[in-house]
Amino acid sequence: MWDSFIQGLELAMRWDTFAMMSVGLILGMFVGALPGFTTVMAMAILLPLSFFLDPLIGIPFLLGVYKGGIYGGSIPAILVSMPGTGAAVATTFDGPALTKKRKARKALEIALYSSVFGDLSSDIVTILFIGPIALIALMFGPPELMAILFLALIVISATSSGVFVKGLLMMCLGLFLGLVGQDPIGALSRFTFDIFAFRAGIPLLPMLIGVYALPEILIAVENKTVGVIRQNIRAREGGRLTFAEFRGCFRSICRSTMIGTGIGMIPGLGQVVAAFMGYAAAKNASKTPEEFGKGKLEGVAAAEAANNAVNGPTLVPLLTLGIPGDNITVILIGAFIAQGMRPGPQLMVEQGPLVFAILVAMVFANLLFLVIGYFAIPLFALVVTIRRSILLPLTVVFAFAGSYVTRSDPLDLVILALFGAFGYLAKKLSFDVTPMVMAFILGKELEYSFGQTMVLAQGNLLNYVFLERPITAVILVATPVLSFLLWRKSKRMRAEFAVDDVG
Amino acid sequence: MPPPDETADTGTEQARRLNFNSVFGGLFVALSAVLLLIIPDQIEKPLIIFAANQNDLKPSLFPQLVAVGFGGLGIWLFFKSFSIRERNELRGLRLPAIVNISVTLLAMLLYGPLMVSVGFVVASALLIGFLSTFFGNRNYLLTAAIAVAVPVTMFFVFTKLLATYLPPFPIDTVLTRLYLL
Repeated sequence: MWDSFIQGLELAMRWDTFAMMSVGLILGMFVGALPGFTTVMAMAILLPLSFFLDPLIGIPFLLGVYKGGIYGGSIPAILVSMPGTGAAVATTFDGPALTKKRKARKALEIALYSSVFGDLSSDIVTILFIGPIALIALMFGPPELMAILFLALIVISATSSGVFVKGLLMMCLGLFLGLVGQDPIGALSRFTFDIFAFRAGIPLLPMLIGVYALPEILIAVENKTVGVIRQNIRAREGGRLTFAEFRGCFRSICRSTMIGTGIGMIPGLGQVVAAFMGYAAAKNASKTPEEFGKGKLEGVAAAEAANNAVNGPTLVPLLTLGIPGDNITVILIGAFIAQGMRPGPQLMVEQGPLVFAILVAMVFANLLFLVIGYFAIPLFALVVTIRRSILLPLTVVFAFAGSYVTRSDPLDLVILALFGAFGYLAKKLSFDVTPMVMAFILGKELEYSFGQTMVLAQGNLLNYVFLERPITAVILVATPVLSFLLWRKSKRMRAEFAVDDVG
Repeated sequence: MPPPDETADTGTEQARRLNFNSVFGGLFVALSAVLLLIIPDQIEKPLIIFAANQNDLKPSLFPQLVAVGFGGLGIWLFFKSFSIRERNELRGLRLPAIVNISVTLLAMLLYGPLMVSVGFVVASALLIGFLSTFFGNRNYLLTAAIAVAVPVTMFFVFTKLLATYLPPFPIDTVLTRLYLL
């Protein structure tokens, strides 16, 4: 692992990686700063760009969008009390009050510094954790992999927004959509309904863009989007943040970073919950809790450090076990697959240096993030006022172009529009699409490992699993217990903080 | 949006009535039945070599498990629906919202064939112009500038920098002529 890390470090030292990561950060901050445009949407739309770039350029580019987007959401949250992304809702508790006190610049700077600190620290933890976890994952055979994938799907359904059984049904729907095409064991054609195009299965990219980007557009157009924020943007108002002020928030930043890092490793919780937990912990620990919500820098710092600290650790289950923990990592797994990197236990063995290079690039992205954020805050503050009546059509064009270029098949555009309509209806009817997309992505691997397990069991699955594969048995027995516990925790947190989704 | 409350006040008259979740429960059960019926026809028969399958695993096993999953979970949702307190947000949509969404979806559906027939740049310019005006933007000069500049830039980024394909007419034709001249 150490050798892989050193090789990864060498691989990451490329100017084009840094250049595209900077572009990703700028685009992410731009989209994050637009109220109503989520990081998930930005990543879904920009995903096709990464397909045609070298893995060491394309994936850091998307990671830049991810990091920039989560931070960018804090800009309108502070300036106009409209969170750019769900992750920035907790920032609206103190940010706008600081703006009213003519301390907008201090608020934006503490948001930037705490975001960078949270993100950087959690990225380092990710690099430290990923090697040992990958080594454990390497001991897994097909039965263990099957059990882990099954556990992941059930946990994601349990922690999805909405009712558990609806999450499970969406998971089944994803598994069914994954059945269309060829079966992974015998390469037999199935559920193609004699349509030739379906023999290759349902394409992933139009599905991802369709369910994650288009519903946001349709929700935005429910009310015509002529409205534009006419409020004066006062990003330069007030003095700069002093070192003493930063030091005053430092304990909260460290606490929130730990909270965010822990939350990031648990599938299904995400940035929103982390931000609220970080904020609540800072308030509880404060000697002056009554000042929270009335314009306290520590409130902004706690929320921002926590939500950015989630970014790195979400990659741990993704890269070691192939399990995306939330809708953002679902999109990332699409990018990895398109680059020929199948996340899972074997990835660290086959492409360890590349994985470490990507992780090292993430660490460097934080430094770029600091520089770009520092100089571009006033510019991104102006983004808040851009007319959505112009941006929404451009988003549609980008979504369609991105879907088309991968296969140059007009059918993909129809599939995209259909999944867009489906995603919109699902949102309106409180069905979470993330379990569906995850099941669609992981379904083939689950089926393949299930098939291998059946062959190994020679017809006696229960005896084989419980007598010969103790790890598999433990995971399978733990699945309902873990799912119940996580479901209860997720439900309690969502109810407590009244949150719905991440990104 | 606050999450649905699954536990509180489960015995209200509102909750006891059939609702959209009950309907979806029924639909998923029906889907399960349909899948179980069509599975034998929709899965290609495995290759038989020397009168034996290549392995003992039935190709229909996993799809059947998924179909049974739909049935079981559909029944669960049906019974659970009486205690779920969720709002069908589609019912709250007003006519202007329905018109806006329908027009946007229609424009998206037409954009695909239009892109293939008249080319990416022209189709995109038309879509941007139409949707932007429909959404209430009345700055036509700005719209026109963006409707042309953005698709042209995107066309070059995708086709030249990323070496992918987008329907070219008329940009490539024009450029080829200019180059030949």
